[in-house]
Amino acid sequence: MAHRYIKVTLTAVVLVLAFAGMMWTTLRQGTEYYKNVDEVLPQAHEWSGKQLQLHGYVVPGSIMRKRDSLEWRFKVQNNPARAAGTSGGVVDATYNGIVPDTFKDEAEVVLKGKLTPAGFHTDPNGVMAKCPSKYEAQEKSASAGT
Amino acid sequence: MASLGAALLLATFVVCSYAAVVSVVGARRRSRPLIESGIGAFHLVTALMVAASAVMINAFLTNDYSIKYVEHYSDSVQPFFYKITSYWGGLDGSIMFWVFLLAVFGSIAVYVNRERHRELIPYVVATITTVQMFFLFLMIVHRNPFTTYLANAPTEGQGLNPLLQNVYMAIHPPSLYTGFVGMTIPFAFGIAALITGHLDDSWLRAVRRWTMFSWLFLSFGLTLGMIWAYEELGWGGYWAWDPVENAGLLPWFTATAFLHSVMVQERRSMLRVWNVTLVIVTFFLTIFGTFMTRSGVVQSVHAFGDDPVLAKLFTGFMVVILVFSFSLVIWRLPLLKARNELDSWLSREAAFMLNNWILLFAALFVLFGTMFPTLSEAVTGERLTVAGAFFNKWMAPVGLVLLLLTGVGPLLAWRQSTVKNLLDSFLWPVVAGLLAGAVAMLFRIPLWSAGLCFALCGLVVGTVVQEFWRGARIRKKNTGTDMLTALVGLVGRNKRRYGGYIVHVGIVLIFFGFAGNVRKLDEQVLLKVGQETKIGRYTIKSDGIKVSDDGQKQMTTAYLTVYVNGKEIDRLYPARWAYRRHEQEPTTEVAIRRTPAEDLYAVLGGFDLADQSATLQLVVNPLVNWIWIGFGVMALGTGIALLPERSFAFAMSKLPAEAAATSTIALLLLMLLAGAAPAYAQAGMGGAEDTRSSYYARTPFEKQMQHEIVCTCGACGHQTLAECRKDNCSTSHQMRGELAAMIDQGKNRDQIIQAFMAKYGGEEMLGAPIDKGFNRMAWLFPYLIGAASAVAVGFAAVKWTRKSDLDAAPAAPIDAALDERINDELRDLD
Repeated sequence: MAHRYIKVTLTAVVLVLAFAGMMWTTLRQGTEYYKNVDEVLPQAHEWSGKQLQLHGYVVPGSIMRKRDSLEWRFKVQNNPARAAGTSGGVVDATYNGIVPDTFKDEAEVVLKGKLTPAGFHTDPNGVMAKCPSKYEAQEKSASAGT
Repeated sequence: MASLGAALLLATFVVCSYAAVVSVVGARRRSRPLIESGIGAFHLVTALMVAASAVMINAFLTNDYSIKYVEHYSDSVQPFFYKITSYWGGLDGSIMFWVFLLAVFGSIAVYVNRERHRELIPYVVATITTVQMFFLFLMIVHRNPFTTYLANAPTEGQGLNPLLQNVYMAIHPPSLYTGFVGMTIPFAFGIAALITGHLDDSWLRAVRRWTMFSWLFLSFGLTLGMIWAYEELGWGGYWAWDPVENAGLLPWFTATAFLHSVMVQERRSMLRVWNVTLVIVTFFLTIFGTFMTRSGVVQSVHAFGDDPVLAKLFTGFMVVILVFSFSLVIWRLPLLKARNELDSWLSREAAFMLNNWILLFAALFVLFGTMFPTLSEAVTGERLTVAGAFFNKWMAPVGLVLLLLTGVGPLLAWRQSTVKNLLDSFLWPVVAGLLAGAVAMLFRIPLWSAGLCFALCGLVVGTVVQEFWRGARIRKKNTGTDMLTALVGLVGRNKRRYGGYIVHVGIVLIFFGFAGNVRKLDEQVLLKVGQETKIGRYTIKSDGIKVSDDGQKQMTTAYLTVYVNGKEIDRLYPARWAYRRHEQEPTTEVAIRRTPAEDLYAVLGGFDLADQSATLQLVVNPLVNWIWIGFGVMALGTGIALLPERSFAFAMSKLPAEAAATSTIALLLLMLLAGAAPAYAQAGMGGAEDTRSSYYARTPFEKQMQHEIVCTCGACGHQTLAECRKDNCSTSHQMRGELAAMIDQGKNRDQIIQAFMAKYGGEEMLGAPIDKGFNRMAWLFPYLIGAASAVAVGFAAVKWTRKSDLDAAPAAPIDAALDERINDELRDLD
């Protein structure tokens, strides 16, 4: 019987180790940090090049689009535009492609992409403009979430 | 009315608690009257929930906006159909709908099993009513759907979200809920078996069918969700590993595992602890999925909003479920001992076990990935999210191994396979697999994942065909009939097994569709009038943008022409619709050119009316339609497996042939009607009716046509014929007259549209772009298959029952061993 338990245990250990190893390697590539603008900006060089999901608010009046193209430039700030106090850190962002309808001044956005010295480079389809009421009629008291 | 509804919910809660207590006490004291009283109360709960649902639907139909829930999810212009579906459109109503379904299913299950599993029933009643009490408690203390405005009741509602005003979305949630709620029944029987200690296989027999039924609806719900995402959300895909999608997938994995491992227990009395565990875990995952969707624990595009109170209540309930169920399992471990050991790894039970591990692993992995952001935040304080690519990377090999097992499992013998029967049974399936792989190579498809997937699809199809072929051949020999009759007889005698094989074919088709992703093309372009772009073999030219309004919404449509090799093959009309009161969230109306080989998919992402430029997302999705067709095949297989034992053959042998034929035709008509229903429902979405003109619509068809055709007078701003009713608009009057005349001539929709196009030029006068034939085909397919198989089964069954009277002497078997094996399995499996 002891022999059998050793065999089972060994198999289990090998399987678990192999699984953990694979998990570790893929997780390192597959994960994205979910960060606010203010969490990233102070150590910009540290975060640059890492796959990020950057959370912030579109700076009013900052959205620009190159004529006859799908190239967008805009700014994202840490705090909601209408909140009291400062806007928090502001980062330039670029994007090429179709933006969602909810992407407009003051919108709460999550951008997928990488931080570069020139600003935040957004991946294709990487603009997610949050709209808490998209599927559920918004409760008047409910906050915007996150 | 609202207070009546709230009172009904309260009464249901009281009756539930009575039923739970009285059943348990009755069972402990072995008091028949108490148990009967519990069952009575249980059915009373169902009656009360039906009444409460009626109150809710009545409130929607009578536009009772003093009820907050109604005000939130309905408005006066909403079509009748969506007023009813609004019942489960929001959080509170969906919980109520959940209890309603659970009550109905519970009543049916208890009624059906009242004699056969008498000793289990009181505990089944107690378990189900406890679950109901939890949801009723949620509603009463926290999320009452009958909450009213205390003062100043609004006179108009906010309307159901336009994204949900879609036929798929109207049937997707009830179907998914049916799957989720149905899983409670096996759980209740499992708990009852654990408590009473009647842990032989009889409780499994009671729940097998329920699990299959729930599994079917779960699959249907998931498929509908995919179709909805594909056609309505307009991002070019159908599955995004969104937490809410994953929530539906988790119990699907464990239920699939259960449906397989249950066979091992029936056949070999192994895996008994495992089966009980799977039933508990499946139920737990349905509750967990509901919790994820409704409490805001995970961020998701389509989770209902944040609700910390609900999250706490759910967490408490889930802890209770886990602790209680697994304490019972541990307590009963001595009774759950397996009677057999695994003889060999080269056996079917080993294949089943492997399949179970992998399915369970898939469930755990998806759970892990879904909860990862929450977990990482709790552990490290950093919110890390995993992208869809992470899931795809892991789930692709998992799916492929499952597909391999689907092909290999049925070929292995129970207990132990010998080298001889391995060679014998694997030869042709492997050849089929290699052939399929070679074809994939010819198309220069990369070997990893897609190429391998095609090869494995070939293997599974080879296995299934071989199983049918060999079984039918032996039956043909034994009964002396022709091949078709033998085949039908074979399926009829072993519905679960051969139905299961048909489900496997459906799975193959679905994987076939998934593998098509390898050649997916996705581009975003900006086109001005007359500009062209290329994607794959298509050239797409923009003919401009037009805006029209039908009273309920403003529609912006891009007019695109599709060329292949310089020849015009099609036109596409992607659009954006901005509904009244939902202007901020326009819906994207995707235009899809469907073919069996690939879909050309166009989305109008944005537009600029000033310079007539359209921002388009263009996607080529190869093989995607096979996913929906695969589901149809899967549904057919499950349907066969679900057919009542013997009843079909019995009915057939009693009926004269004519009656059988008539009933088959009636069945066929019913199915066709069911198939037409979705098309009709979609056509019925019109604006408000106005009958001040001479040519008002006399039939629904005429009304539909009036809504489809746009007046060309130029003064009304592209209103449809039904709406342009200004006294001075002679054009619309004249056009309505022409329409009426054509309808009187018996012309159909296409002919009428052709005639109008010929007279007024172009498709400009069409209110909405033409719905292409294949759009409907994908939907009709399951029904067609169902109808065709009904005819085939009916025809052959009549023949078969006649011939079986002759009782032909069995011919000498060619291969005695195989013969014995198959006959042995035929006897035992069902």
